[in-house]
Parts: sequence; C-alpha cells; structure tokens
Amino acid sequence: MELSESVQRGFQTLADPGSFDSNAFALLLRAAFQSLLDAQADEAVLDHPDLKHIDPVVLKHCHAAAATYILEAGKHRADKSTLSTYLEDCKFDRERIELFCTEYQNNKNSLESLLESIGRSLPHITDVSWRLEYQIKTNQLHKMYRPAYLVTLNVENSDSQSYPEISFSCNMEQLQDLVGKLKDASKSLERATQL
Amino acid sequence: MLLDLSEEHKEHLAFLPQVDSAVVAEFGRIAVEFLRRGSNPKIYEGAARKLNVSSETVQHGVEGLTYLLTESSKLMISELDFQDSVFVLGFSEELNKLLLQLYLDNRKEIRTILNELTPDLPTYHSLEWRLDVQLASRSLRQQIKPAVTFKLHLNHNGDHNTKVLQTDPATLLHLVQQLEQALEEMKTNHCRRVVRNIK
Repeated sequence: MELSESVQRGFQTLADPGSFDSNAFALLLRAAFQSLLDAQADEAVLDHPDLKHIDPVVLKHCHAAAATYILEAGKHRADKSTLSTYLEDCKFDRERIELFCTEYQNNKNSLESLLESIGRSLPHITDVSWRLEYQIKTNQLHKMYRPAYLVTLNVENSDSQSYPEISFSCNMEQLQDLVGKLKDASKSLERATQL
Repeated sequence: MLLDLSEEHKEHLAFLPQVDSAVVAEFGRIAVEFLRRGSNPKIYEGAARKLNVSSETVQHGVEGLTYLLTESSKLMISELDFQDSVFVLGFSEELNKLLLQLYLDNRKEIRTILNELTPDLPTYHSLEWRLDVQLASRSLRQQIKPAVTFKLHLNHNGDHNTKVLQTDPATLLHLVQQLEQALEEMKTNHCRRVVRNIK
C-alpha cells in the first residue's frame, strides 16, 4: 500500500493523546467510516460537540488521512496484521489499534461492496420483457398470419446512470436460437463453477 | 376479392396486347427485377427503340404490370379473382394466361420484398457470448466476479448493428426462464385457437 506523507502525519497526530483524547479518537474514526459508507452523510459528520475543541484544520487533516487509509486498506483487502503493523509504526497505543481494527472489521463488507461497484463496465442487462403478437396485415402486405415476438432488454449504464432499452423483434426460430445460445452460456457457467 | 384498376392504370396496361407474348414476359421479368433492385430508366430506352414506340409508353407498360403484380401479391388474391380482375381489360385468352402465370410464379418473392417495407424494429440476427471473471479493478483487488459478455447482432433496414452487453449469472438464468416462457406461450390452447381461426 502506498500512503503519502500527509496520511502518515495525520495518523501520527491521531495517535497522540494530547491532540485526540480517547473519546475524540473514537468519534473521528466513526466519522471517517460514516462519510465513506453512509450515502446520506455530509460535512456535518465532524460537527460533534466533543470535537469542537480541536483546531478544524487538524480535524479535517486527520479525517482525510483516516478516510484515505481506510480506502487503501479496503482496496488491497488488508488483514488485521497489516493494519496493526502500520498503526504501530504510527505510534498508536494498543487500545486505539484494537478499536480501529474492530471498526474496520465491522465495516469491511460495506467497504468492499462500495469499492466493487466503482468502475466502468459494459452496459449491463438487468431484465427482459417480451410480447407475443400475431401479425395479420400491414398496409404493404395483407394476409400475413404469422406469430412474432418483441423482446426488450432493460440495460443499465454504469457511468451515465442512464437506462436505455434495446428492443428487437424476432420470429419463433430466431427466439429459439437466442434461448438456445443463452442456455449454452448458462451451462458453461455451471460447468466452470464446478471446476 | 377483385382488383380495382383505375382508368389510368388500364390505359398503361393497354400497351401490352400490342406486343407479343415474349415481350410481355420480358416486361414481367423487368418488373420483378425493378422490385428487387430499383428501376433503371435505360432499360426503357433500349426496349422503346426495339419496339419503335416512345420510352414513356414502355415505362407505363412496365409500371402498370408492376402495380398489377404487387397489388395482387399484397392482397394474396386467388387465381380466380386474378383472372376475373384482368378479364375487364379485354385482353386475349393467351395474354390473360400469361399474366396469371407471371402472378403465380412471382407472388412469393414479391411478398418477401413487400415484407421488407413494413415499419420495422431491429430484428434479431444472432448472439455471441463469452464467460468472463473479473479478478481486480482499480478500486478493488482480489475479486472473483463472474460475468457473461454478449455481442447481439441485429438487422435494421438493411443495416447490421451489433451491441455489446454484459450480465451476471443470476440475471442470465432469469433471462433464460423468461424467454422460455415466451416460447411456451405459442403452444397454449389460447394461441393455438387464434392461429387456427384467424386465416
């Protein structure tokens, strides 16, 4: 894990009982996790009466350092010993290390979910709807008398948050072809998971 | 059902009895070719010179024949109805037979061509698929995230489109289930009854 000097300095300040007493430390830690994981969190997360006595610049610096470290740890799937080692190097006492590791463990799953969801991907199919119709005539062609399917795929775009749809029509043979291919993919997936 | 031929149409077709059957057959061939590929005015000039008439006359003759064939094919009229419709033109028995044959020989193909004119959505052409497993990303290492990637080939108005899409295993199973239900629908009594009775 590559961590900047700024993060290290922030942590050294956090380790110091003179700058952050036990209560303040616990609050700041919780605030860091909250601002990362709680969708509704805002800047007011640091507005706690028990943190008011600390210089706001220092508060922000340490909050940012903690949040940065938490993200890096999550990204690299750090284990308890990695965390402990780093915190020891920053001169944290045993109690604060335990608290950090416990908070981290409690929030690990949410953190990893969040990190997993960030990133670009291809348009993702979320659902399908279909319609079966019986074609009788058009203005160009009468007496058609054949069934046709209209299939709509609901698609989600990761970056633009848009939800375009892809619609196409097909006859019975074509739909059978499509379903056949989807089943092949599905069986292949099953086999792969058994290896 | 009889064809309703306008006066103008009848006038255009009036050229046909003035040439021999071989020429009418040739016009028929040109008409279908024009439906397939689009018209080519040069052909009219060549024929006009050979027959010693204006190219406009030839054009009208071919267009009249085209309209006769497409209308009959569109409505899918019976042999009898076709013969009765053409009867009003007062052509010879031989010419009537020739026109009927032209209709019957080309009807299927003309209907296929007309089908392409319908207001259309993209139609399914084929599907390619691939299994992927995401192992890591910039924001998270050590992942095992299976996904299926598709390339969906669609045709629209002669253009071939492809869309690259992805889905997860659970949604894939859901897609298969839903579309299998769609296929099953055609086998239900309700659909069978509709197909049997609407003809």
